[in-house]
Amino acid sequence: MSNTQNASHDPAESNRDDRSADAVTQTTAGESQEETQTEWTDYEFRGEPKLSVDDLDVYYGDERALQGITMDIPENSVTALIGPSGCGKSTFLRCLNRMNDRIKSASVDGSVELEGEEIYQDGLDLVTLRKRVGMVFQSPNPFPKTIRDNISYGPRKHGDIETGLLARLLGDDSGEREEKLVERCLKQAALWEEVSDRLDDNALGLSGGQQQRLCIARCLAVDPEVILMDEPASALDPIATAKIEDLIEELAEEYTVVVVTHNMQQAARISDQTAVFLTGGELVEFDDTDKIFENPESQRVEDYVTGKFG
Amino acid sequence: MSERTLRNQSRDPLAVEYSAALAGLSVVPIATFFAAFVVGGLTLAGQRSLGSTILGIEIETVLTALLFVAGGCLLAISVGSRYGVIETTPDRSAGLGVASGFGFVAFSGIGLAMSQTFGLGRLVWAPLALIGGLTVAGAIVFAREDLGVTVPAGLFSVAIGSLVLFDGLTPAWAWSPAGFGVTFNGTVLIPLLTIVAGLVTAWAAANAFEGFGAAGRQAGAFFLIGANATLILLVLLLLIAFIVKNGFWYAVDGIEIGPGLNFHWPFVMDGYDVVLNQKGIYPAIIGTFWLVVGALVMAVPIGVGAAVFLTEYAEEGRFTSVIDIATNGLWSTPSVVFGLFGYAFLVPRLGNNTSLLAGMIVLGFMLLPLVLITSREAIKSVPDEYRDASAALGVSKWETIKDVTIPSAMPGIVTGIIIGIGRIAGETAPILIVTADNPQRSSAPAIMGSFELTTSPPFIVNEALLSGSSALPYQLYGAITTGVVGDDPGYGWATAFVLLLVVLSFYVIGITTRIYFRKKLQA
Amino acid sequence: MSNSLRTSDSSDIENPTAGDGRSPVLVAGGATLAGALLSFLFVPGVTVFFVLAFLGVAVYGWFVHQEATAKGLMFLATISTALVLVLITAYLFLRSFPAFEQMGLEILYTNGDYWSRGDDRYSLYPAIWGTVLTTILATLVAAPLGVASAIFISEIAPSWAHEIVKPAVETLAGIPSIVYGFIGFTIINGYMMDNFGLTSSGSIVVVGVVVGLMALPTVASVAEDAISSVPDHMKDGAVAIGATEWQTIKSVTLPASFSGISAAVLLGVGRAVGETMAATVILGNVMQLPEPLYNVFGNTVTLTSLIASQYGNAHGLHMQALFAAGVILFLTVMALSITAQLIEARVKQNLGGEL
Repeated sequence: MSNTQNASHDPAESNRDDRSADAVTQTTAGESQEETQTEWTDYEFRGEPKLSVDDLDVYYGDERALQGITMDIPENSVTALIGPSGCGKSTFLRCLNRMNDRIKSASVDGSVELEGEEIYQDGLDLVTLRKRVGMVFQSPNPFPKTIRDNISYGPRKHGDIETGLLARLLGDDSGEREEKLVERCLKQAALWEEVSDRLDDNALGLSGGQQQRLCIARCLAVDPEVILMDEPASALDPIATAKIEDLIEELAEEYTVVVVTHNMQQAARISDQTAVFLTGGELVEFDDTDKIFENPESQRVEDYVTGKFG
Repeated sequence: MSERTLRNQSRDPLAVEYSAALAGLSVVPIATFFAAFVVGGLTLAGQRSLGSTILGIEIETVLTALLFVAGGCLLAISVGSRYGVIETTPDRSAGLGVASGFGFVAFSGIGLAMSQTFGLGRLVWAPLALIGGLTVAGAIVFAREDLGVTVPAGLFSVAIGSLVLFDGLTPAWAWSPAGFGVTFNGTVLIPLLTIVAGLVTAWAAANAFEGFGAAGRQAGAFFLIGANATLILLVLLLLIAFIVKNGFWYAVDGIEIGPGLNFHWPFVMDGYDVVLNQKGIYPAIIGTFWLVVGALVMAVPIGVGAAVFLTEYAEEGRFTSVIDIATNGLWSTPSVVFGLFGYAFLVPRLGNNTSLLAGMIVLGFMLLPLVLITSREAIKSVPDEYRDASAALGVSKWETIKDVTIPSAMPGIVTGIIIGIGRIAGETAPILIVTADNPQRSSAPAIMGSFELTTSPPFIVNEALLSGSSALPYQLYGAITTGVVGDDPGYGWATAFVLLLVVLSFYVIGITTRIYFRKKLQA
Repeated sequence: MSNSLRTSDSSDIENPTAGDGRSPVLVAGGATLAGALLSFLFVPGVTVFFVLAFLGVAVYGWFVHQEATAKGLMFLATISTALVLVLITAYLFLRSFPAFEQMGLEILYTNGDYWSRGDDRYSLYPAIWGTVLTTILATLVAAPLGVASAIFISEIAPSWAHEIVKPAVETLAGIPSIVYGFIGFTIINGYMMDNFGLTSSGSIVVVGVVVGLMALPTVASVAEDAISSVPDHMKDGAVAIGATEWQTIKSVTLPASFSGISAAVLLGVGRAVGETMAATVILGNVMQLPEPLYNVFGNTVTLTSLIASQYGNAHGLHMQALFAAGVILFLTVMALSITAQLIEARVKQNLGGEL
């Protein structure tokens, strides 16, 4: 089957494999309705798959949060993950850059490949993974530093930008490069106009929407390939939300964006394809966004997107 | 839209390749550090001398060998990494922190050698040492990180090893720095320097194990922080083990069991009586018992009552912040100051002599802030939903507090009280000033039998409460100051053992209760 | 009955439910207790009458107006906490005043002839200097090791190690200071004389290290609270752009909890300043300065050990000088405690905002 990695080194690993196998059989055999897995996994992408997820299970302690997720996420597009709360869509998102490793009780079983390279392999360099797969969180979380330092934080930690005494001693001061980087990222995040005259102010003084765009800019500064967004606009007012939505569509020209949202209109507006998770941590349908919202295969998905259930 | 200057580097492979050579070479210094710590530690503690042997090898030789092995491994890593034989991912420089650290070591080493060994004047050694230190620091700053970390650490280790090997530093060597009344002997310095060098090389090796860079620095830092935690654990265990080893047999000496219910434990059940040849601490145990009981009676109602008032009735404001300042102030007031206060305030009013009652009240004052702070935390952590649910049923606030809030907060309150008891049971200074008279007493205070009714105020008197008493910590202090320990060290150790047993039991019970209730809450 | 009983400050309590006949009980209770206190201060003999009267009022109130009585009693409990501190301050100052008056500034600093019972001259200069030296050494031990163990406990330790180290640090706080003193006296003092050629039993460096070990748990537990109150989502921000855990700790967690950590160190310093028994037993308690001043291998006395070693045979000005030592200790520790609280209050304010 797939490569296995348990964040909590659970001894019951083999049991778990059995259980997940059982679960897959149950889903396929037990569900007599039209939505068997094969129907939507055959879905043809416009681009290359950037991330391919194969039979992913996630447990919190003994509780299964995700079961048997298999999907390919295409390059340079927006993929929306929707579903009712508690359906595991955020958990799924956090599996894609292994942020779940930080939760002690979480264990992951299955395979996620980034451009064909397994991210749950032994000896994986988490730093490189998270540089390539960036993340923006539900509530804006800028560091209590200046706007400039927020942007250059990542590159500094990776040794790409160095200022200060040591850098000057080594003749390596990249102050100019920092300026350029800050400007590029803020422009990309559509924040430059608003903050260009106060880059040395504390980021906590910005409004919520500005903070969230700063977090996106901070993420862009390490030059990721994939950007994961966990309900990035849920804490914001409608105007700030609209700005973030525009930004997401723009980013998709260069980046692969995966966005979790509980707002179906938002998913319909911004995404190219949509995955619907329903209660119990299963992926029910994954297809072009238009198809999901206009003519879903599954009755349950139709009920959910039309608001009959959820 | 953008020039993506950094794009190339994001194609780094996801997996890190571990080189077996690097892993092997960097594990060795960590292992030698532990060996040096154990062997050097035993030598420092006087359990072994440098001349004695371990596995047939002289300890001095063992320590020297460890220094050379650890240093050699690091130097091998540096060469391998420099010429690409061993694959690593170092940064451009080890940084100013590492540079100034090793620079300082070089400065002190050169300075000490120049001034003490060669007797050069300040004007000569200071500039030379400064130049040496700056050269080392500069070399580290401008060298690549792998070299900047491993080479100085390796050289440091090898240099100390060479000093010992070529008799620059022998067990007989001694150095008395001017101005300090102290002599550093080779017998102490050799194991000490070996342990220090071992720590430095192990840090560098942990750094190398992860291939330097950010991951390497993390490994180095985590190694030091982990070593610190281990050291604290070790200190605690050694303290306890030491006291148990020295005091246990004396304390349990002469226990008689049977026939029937007859049980006699001389050390715990006898007084201290030269005539009867008894050396026991029964009066002190009983004294401590009554002191704790009295302090509890004083502090628990006041502390818990104030905690309830502050969390449930008082609104945050000037009043609560004044009380906060007072509580925290009381918490940090030195125990000897409590003693002075008791001496000035209580002693003159309670019969003008030291007394058990004064000790109870002073310890009660000391226990009060602890009980208040922990009870307040416990009551605060009762979820508001409980209070709302009760209030929504039309139950009055007081009934809610009585039936819902306090019972839910009980585990926290009780834990706080238990740990508080542990703390005051070991307090010495206030007892010394307000309660104690004769440290080695032959009889225990008979509190229960001393109550007498009188016709004049205060109508009820208790002679025992108003007389001095001993207590466990005071007994230990008295044993030291009256010279009992000098004649019979076992008596002191056994007293320390019983005191530690009493105090730590309260801590263990308190901490276990807390963990138990926390687990229960989570489940 | 409803929640209308919230009181905001002390003045409300006298009269929280005016008009329904409960306030007389509260007033009577308060009056009898105040009477008890005043009589204890000035005529201890009659205190018992006031105490009995107070008990009578309290029992009556409990059966007739339980809620109001309970609240009143709890209010009195709250007040008495502050009152204890007021009493301590008052008595220390009262008792030490003559010493300050007679010795003037010489009580803090004088040249030579520090302590003479014959001349009735008492200067605390050596004791103050001894306290400063031991506190500096203790802080050098307690602050770095304490903060490092706080980082270990809250950020680095896997759960099994967390379960061991956290209780261990707490237990370390539980070892009575006299036990540390005993070990210092019987073992370490002799060790230092044998191996480091010290000429007298007891040295500042031993006291400093031992007291540092005793202050370490305070630093560790307060700093741990500060570090673990940095919200996870802030650390996630750093980890999600590829910072290592250590980079996150250094550049996000520690700066964000910096104030709390400084409060922890201040409280640790306070513990070290006030530590009594270990210093008393280990030091020689000689009223002299170490020679030269920075000779940490020398012998001297600290404020705390001065009080504990001399109170027994002190009278008159001598005793008042010891109270003056108590005042200096008390003021130092209160200043540290209040500073730490101000810092913590600011942290709370900051964390209450955006963090």
